[in-house]
Amino acid sequence: MANEIKVDPQMLAEFIKLNKNIFEAPNLAKSLDEINLEITPHEVVYTEGKVRLLHFNPPVQKQLKTPLVIAYALINRFHILDIHPKKSWIKHLLNQGIDVYLIDWGTPTQINRHEGFDDYVNGYMDNCIDFVRKETLSNAVSLQGYCTGGTLSTVYSALYPKKIKNLTLTAPVIDGRRDSTVVSNLAKHMDVDKLVDTLGNMPPELMYYVFSILKPFEQGFEKYLNFFKNIHDQEYVENFIRVEKWVSDTPPIPGELYRQWIKDVYQENLLIDNKMYVGGKQVSLKNISMPLLTQVAVGDHLVSPECSMPIHYAVSSEDKTLKIYPTGHVGMIASSFSQKKVLPEYAQWLVERSEK
Amino acid sequence: MSIPPDLKKSLANYKHNSLFWTDLLYLMSNRQQSLAATGPFRKFAINAKTLSTETIEMNEDMTEFNTRLSEYYKQLTDTWNEAQKEYSRKVPELPNDVEHMEASKRIWIDIFENYFTRLFDSAEFAENFGQLVSSELEIAKHWNNMASTLLESANMPTKKEMDDVYKELHSLRKRVAKLEKIANKGGTPNGQ
Repeated sequence: MANEIKVDPQMLAEFIKLNKNIFEAPNLAKSLDEINLEITPHEVVYTEGKVRLLHFNPPVQKQLKTPLVIAYALINRFHILDIHPKKSWIKHLLNQGIDVYLIDWGTPTQINRHEGFDDYVNGYMDNCIDFVRKETLSNAVSLQGYCTGGTLSTVYSALYPKKIKNLTLTAPVIDGRRDSTVVSNLAKHMDVDKLVDTLGNMPPELMYYVFSILKPFEQGFEKYLNFFKNIHDQEYVENFIRVEKWVSDTPPIPGELYRQWIKDVYQENLLIDNKMYVGGKQVSLKNISMPLLTQVAVGDHLVSPECSMPIHYAVSSEDKTLKIYPTGHVGMIASSFSQKKVLPEYAQWLVERSEK
Repeated sequence: MSIPPDLKKSLANYKHNSLFWTDLLYLMSNRQQSLAATGPFRKFAINAKTLSTETIEMNEDMTEFNTRLSEYYKQLTDTWNEAQKEYSRKVPELPNDVEHMEASKRIWIDIFENYFTRLFDSAEFAENFGQLVSSELEIAKHWNNMASTLLESANMPTKKEMDDVYKELHSLRKRVAKLEKIANKGGTPNGQ
């Protein structure tokens, strides 16, 4: 036959195997609802509105007197810092003898739509940090801000420098003008006033849209193909489902907080120019004089390194370190690379600058 | 890209005519309506004009929304076609073994990822997307106004009224927190 199509038998076998894996998948993987993302035991030690302050139970004796408070991002939830026992940022720090607290922003509803930077920084954050200072009898704490939590932590440290012993920022959103990501491109062209005035809070659906246009073919096609190919690898599957559950769950962002974040950081670039006001006070980055560690990832397609790095040059700290890693936004905090390279360097930096 | 002037003019005429007749019919039937609609339901009859106005204005915004949505899909389709052409140039023949299949999949993903990231990074895409969301929000505003009219007619709190309550609660919470801080420090409202 002249029109006969020749197919490699190995290719056919691969295709059949993939189909078999797809059919077997429900028996080999848990559904998102069956997964509990809370791994490391913790206690809720302080609550205010929907915000919770978590204190993680140390598996080893506390080595450092200075506690660490983590201000998580406003997008998705804190579980990525504790996503898998072998990839947990929090567990690693606890094993180094660091006393870890974390601010969980909760799920804002329409009643929270008028909350802005003032409420978050001068209210929730300040109250959580005061609580930790009082409970641990420490004058100052170490503060870590991840992603948008990095923006909040930067503002906080500029307004309350005496309460912060060490500031560590992981992929912080600082200089929107230099941000070269798709997220920043959309943020710069958004009528944020109309959005907040009409909808109240920034809805999760719109956040999902923004995530869906970040590497849509790799993330929307290849990632799932690899999942089915590796369906018999239990560890791979569990990690995949855990991360997918984390990705699919993002809370709304309070309207006024979102308005100021987009305007002051992405559209008018007031934070890096020292012209941002929070609760009537000017935020001057020169007030940040405590030791500073900034961590950025070259493959970060959510917050580009150019957006984060200017903080290193804007502060007045004499002891400051900038670390650039060959990974991505999530890879920096929840990956094997993070455990082998990022975390040991982070913990060492913190230990050297904390009270024993 | 916006609504053509001719279409704008005809929409304005349509709006004027509709509102004129809504008004006139309302005035003409006022007596009969008063007789027919009694008690709380009369409020709904009075508010009926708001619903017509909102519907007409929403149709105007739908035109803008459709224009932006068409442009959005055009941008996606054009980019897909360009990426597909590039892929066909690079991989002219169907892969017929595992190795070629893997390689061509990688090429396909890389090409499409590059073309689409370039699109999403462009000012044209971001501007149109911003306008698309904006026009959708205009439609949402009309929808909110209509819902508020219905809620008001049923003597239920409207979105605006609820928002006023939220605003008041927010301000009260701040005042209480401030007073708590002063009380804990044993000071006065002046900070002394």
